[in-house]
Amino acid sequence: MRIISLSGLLILSSQLLTAQNLSYEDSLQKRLFQDEKKTIISGYGEAKFNYDLRYKTGTANFTRLVVFVGHKFNEKISFFSETEIEDAKVEGGEPGGEIAIEQAYLKFDLNKNMYLQAGLFIPRIGILNENHLPTTFNGNDRTFTEQLLIPSTWRELGVGLYGSCEKFSGLNYSLAILNGLNSSAFENGTGIREGRYEGRDATATNLAITGSLQYFFSDIKLQLSAYYGGSAGLSQREADSLQLNSGIFGTPVALGEFNIQYNKDRFSLRALGTAIQIPDADKINRAYANNTAETLIGGYGEIAFDLLAAKNKKLDLFLRYENFNLNNKIPENGIENGLLNQQYIVTGLTFIPTGGVAIKLDYVFKKTGDPNPALVINPFPQAPQYYNTNSFINIGIGYSF
Amino acid sequence: MSAIALSVFASQLSGCKTIAITNAPVENNTIKIPVSSFANKKMQIVRSTTLNDDILLIKNSDLQYTALLMLCTHRNNSLTVSESGLYCSAHGSRFDLEGNVTYEPATQPLKKFTTQLQNEFIIINL
Repeated sequence: MRIISLSGLLILSSQLLTAQNLSYEDSLQKRLFQDEKKTIISGYGEAKFNYDLRYKTGTANFTRLVVFVGHKFNEKISFFSETEIEDAKVEGGEPGGEIAIEQAYLKFDLNKNMYLQAGLFIPRIGILNENHLPTTFNGNDRTFTEQLLIPSTWRELGVGLYGSCEKFSGLNYSLAILNGLNSSAFENGTGIREGRYEGRDATATNLAITGSLQYFFSDIKLQLSAYYGGSAGLSQREADSLQLNSGIFGTPVALGEFNIQYNKDRFSLRALGTAIQIPDADKINRAYANNTAETLIGGYGEIAFDLLAAKNKKLDLFLRYENFNLNNKIPENGIENGLLNQQYIVTGLTFIPTGGVAIKLDYVFKKTGDPNPALVINPFPQAPQYYNTNSFINIGIGYSF
Repeated sequence: MSAIALSVFASQLSGCKTIAITNAPVENNTIKIPVSSFANKKMQIVRSTTLNDDILLIKNSDLQYTALLMLCTHRNNSLTVSESGLYCSAHGSRFDLEGNVTYEPATQPLKKFTTQLQNEFIIINL
């Protein structure tokens, strides 16, 4: 981690070397020096080459580059931010690419076991949402379940309380209040993903609450999390005209998630299950005709084994199975889309030559249900045949520092 | 299969213990912990009002102790401790009881303080 002091490296180094022969890096970790103000710069990124084995086509993309900037104002208050560029280039008027603030929040340490964070932050839901650095997950792609059901990285504006329970060692909790979702932007095929505001002009007349419980014991980590929020931040007049329920939790979206992670020596396992319930999906469809499903459900399981067992190096051989249905249950006015019933088998190698660097090779097998011709409004007479299965090879790099 | 999984899970649960917390003042940049406080435990959390973060003190043998700052080297979050290591609840970093990273995103080991035995006390040198 590169650490830059605002007051100058030389001055800071001399001060700290005088104090107990510690480097400035040590002191930042230690937080023993009461008057220090620190700014930290770090980041992560990933790039990949993808080859489609059925259509014999390849693509190469610098998927994301993220710059982290943090600052410690005093012993109790810090600032954290991540700014992301996706797909390497953003040009006006052209599709693709994105520049976004992924996180920007203030953290207030209340005591040794509790802190508040306020601003744009990522709630504790799922595994990859909070922890999405490319060196921490296998495969070049983030799990499909945590892209399409849990829409990682899912950040919203709000306030969150985080803590650990001293009387019950290993138990951590979080509770946050956030702006809600925008159901008018839901799209068939991506669940609630397009309904996120991500910090830009969010409606705050509809809100969401989310909470989690984590429990660490021995080599196991368990997590249970939930989200409940309104998705119609409209005025009463607008909501009435669309026959939607407005208000704080009007037209609600509920999400539940459970995951388990086990790491022991060279073996690791992780599994996650999640479900989304949108009880007013029929009203959303009536208002916006976006074919919103009532229930979305899915999960995955992954095992990995380190072939090297060397210090500071890893070569994980992994196998993952994912299964989800983005229209597990549709309302009366919805149209079933078999393509949204998907299964994936992903296997490959993740090589960590040193901490913070990953080189990845994986094979992805994808299977979907049949497309529904009713969803094709203007069928193209020369449309190629749809194949229910396809497979891909990915080779990529990732880093974090 | 499920019976095996349940038995593994039960054996892991049996390892659940609350780690004792000992409050001690900082004097001359050191903390003194009586050796007798380790009579029936392998590790304890050392806390001082003048330190922002706790220290995990682990007994390796009658003559050797390890003192680790319970602060994640990734984003400075306080760490949670179990019998097998330390964990960051925020981003998932893991460390063994020597302070080495066993799971990223942290890439740097935990801050380790030197310790020494002196007149039936363990001295942690800050």
